[in-house]
Amino acid sequence: MRLLILLILTLAAQARTVLVVTADASDFLLAAGGTIASMTARGDTAILLRVTNDEKNSWDLSPDETARRNGLECAEAAKLLGIGKVVSLGYREGELGGVSPTELRDRIMFYIRLHKPDVLFLPNPHAEYVEVLDRHYAGLAAEEASHTAALRNHQPPFAQVGLETHVTRELYYYAQPFDPRRREPESTATFVPQPKVSDIGAMLDRKIRAALALKTINHAVAMRIRDRLESTGRRLPLLDTVNDASVAKLTEINVRTLAGTGAKGTGFQSAEEFHYAGPDFGVPSKFRK
Amino acid sequence: MRNQHQRSMPKRRVYHCCLLLLAAAPLAAQKLPLGANPEGKRLLIIQSHHDDHTWEFGFGGFIARLTRSGYEAWYVRTTNDEKDSGIGWGRGDQINHKESVEATRHLGIKEVISLNWRNDHMDSVPMNEVRAHYILLIRKLRPDVLMTWNPWGHYDRNPDHRKVARAAGEAAWMAGLANVHPEHLAAGLKPHRVPYVYYSQRSDYGRGQVPNIAIELSAEDVRRKEAAFHAHQNVRRGSPKDAMDKASRETGEQHGVRYAEVFYFRDEWSHLPGLAPLLEESVVKR
Ligand SMILES: [Zn+2]
Repeated sequence: MRLLILLILTLAAQARTVLVVTADASDFLLAAGGTIASMTARGDTAILLRVTNDEKNSWDLSPDETARRNGLECAEAAKLLGIGKVVSLGYREGELGGVSPTELRDRIMFYIRLHKPDVLFLPNPHAEYVEVLDRHYAGLAAEEASHTAALRNHQPPFAQVGLETHVTRELYYYAQPFDPRRREPESTATFVPQPKVSDIGAMLDRKIRAALALKTINHAVAMRIRDRLESTGRRLPLLDTVNDASVAKLTEINVRTLAGTGAKGTGFQSAEEFHYAGPDFGVPSKFRK
Repeated sequence: MRNQHQRSMPKRRVYHCCLLLLAAAPLAAQKLPLGANPEGKRLLIIQSHHDDHTWEFGFGGFIARLTRSGYEAWYVRTTNDEKDSGIGWGRGDQINHKESVEATRHLGIKEVISLNWRNDHMDSVPMNEVRAHYILLIRKLRPDVLMTWNPWGHYDRNPDHRKVARAAGEAAWMAGLANVHPEHLAAGLKPHRVPYVYYSQRSDYGRGQVPNIAIELSAEDVRRKEAAFHAHQNVRRGSPKDAMDKASRETGEQHGVRYAEVFYFRDEWSHLPGLAPLLEESVVKR
C-alpha cells in the first residue's frame, strides 16, 4: 500500500501541463493527436486552445450551424484524446489574415501565463505548402507568445491579475506532411527546433476514434472529393454512397496513411513528425531553471 | 536552381503529389519529372505586375504550351506598375499595361484583367481584401489551372510578389467553400476550387523555391516566350535577343530535353496527404 501511494505521488509529481494551440478543429488532431493522447494517457493534463470557429468547413450548412456543430465535435474529439478542457477564441475561420497579430499573440500569451504549461503544441508557422494560412498566423502568434510570456515587460496588466511570467520548456511545432523539406534540419544552431518523430503505435486507435468525432468536417472532405471526381467523369468506389460508414472508412484511411507517412524510415509503424525544442536546446540559457 | 539537377533519371510523364517526390533523395540533386498538361481547358495566371510571367523563371513557355493545346487563358495584373520604369507614374502605368496586353497576346492569353492596386504598396493592402478579388475571379472564370508566385518563396524583396502569392494561394482553395463570400453565390456564381496550381519564384535569391516539376517546351513555345519577353520594351530595351532561348535551353539541358521551365506543382490531391495515395490508386472512370 505504501509503495502504491509512493508510486502515485511520484507519477503525480511528474504529471505535466500541456497546452495545445490549434487554428481549427482538425489540424492539431491530424498532425499531433497521437502524441497528445500518449501524454494524457501517462497522466498529463491537456488544454486545447482553438483559435477559429470553423464556420466555413462543412458541405452544405450555414456558417452559424457549421460553427455550432464543429465546436461540439471538436470538444468531443478533444475529450477522446484525453484533453480535459477546450477554450475557443472564436475568431472567424479563414479571416485570421485580418486579425492583429499582436492581439492574437497576447490572447495566447494570457493562456500560457494562466495555465503555465510545461509543453506547448503549436502549428508550425515555418512549414511550407500549408495552404490554410490560419494555421500559419496562429502558429506565428503562438510561437511569439511562448517567447513574450516569459518577459515581464509584456502586458503589464496581466501581472496585475496575478499572471506572472512563464517559460514553457518544451515546444512541439506540428504540421501535416505538406512540406517536402520538413525532415531537413534547418540549422545546427542550438536555438532552432530540430525534427523529431514520435511513435504513436499504441495511440493510433484512439486517434482514429477522435478523428471520427469530427463528423461535419469528415463529411465535407468526402463530399468535396466526390464532387471533384463527378465533375471530371470519375469515381472513387468507396464514395459511391456517402454515408456514415463510407465517411468513417475514408477518415480512418486518412489517419492511418498520415501515421504511415510519419513513420517512414523510422522503424515505427505509426508516427507523427514535429520540430521540437526542448529544455536542453530550445530555451535560451538565461531562462533555464 | 541552375547547376543543381545533374543526375540522370529516365524520362517520365507525371504530375503527382509532392509526397512521392520527398521520398526520394534530396530534390535538388535530381533531374525533375517532366510534367504533362493537366486535364482541363481554362488557365488563370495571377501575378503582381505586367511582366512577371515573362521572366526566365516565369510561366511564358508553359502558358504558350497550354494555349497551343487548346486552353483559354486570362491574365490578372494586380498592381498598376506605375513605378516600373522612370517615365513618370501615370505614363508608366499606361505603357506597361499596353505592353502587357501585347505580351499576353503572343502567349495566346485572351484578356488582361487589371486590378490596379498601387505598385509596390501591396504590403499595406489587407490580405483578405486582395483575396476576395481573386476568389470572385476564380468563381467567374472557373480555371482548371492557376499559375502564381510561390507563397513560400524566400528572399523575394518585392512586397507585391509576397502579398499576391499568399492571397492567390488561399483564394485557390477558399473559392471552393460555399461559406466564403456567400454574396458571390447570391449573384449566381458557384464555389470552385482550382485543382492544379503551379508556383514560380526567383531561384537566385538564396534557397528560394525548390521546384518539383519540369515542363518541356517546343521551339515554338520558346519563340512565343521570347516575343512576350521583348514586348515589354519599356523595361527591357537592350536585352539580348535570345535571352529566353538561352535560359530555356539551359534549363532543358538539366532535365534531359531541349527546352524547359521548372516550377513547384500542387496536384489536385496535394492538400490531402493522408488520402492522396488512395485517390491515386483507386479512382476510376465513370
Ligand atoms: Zn514583379
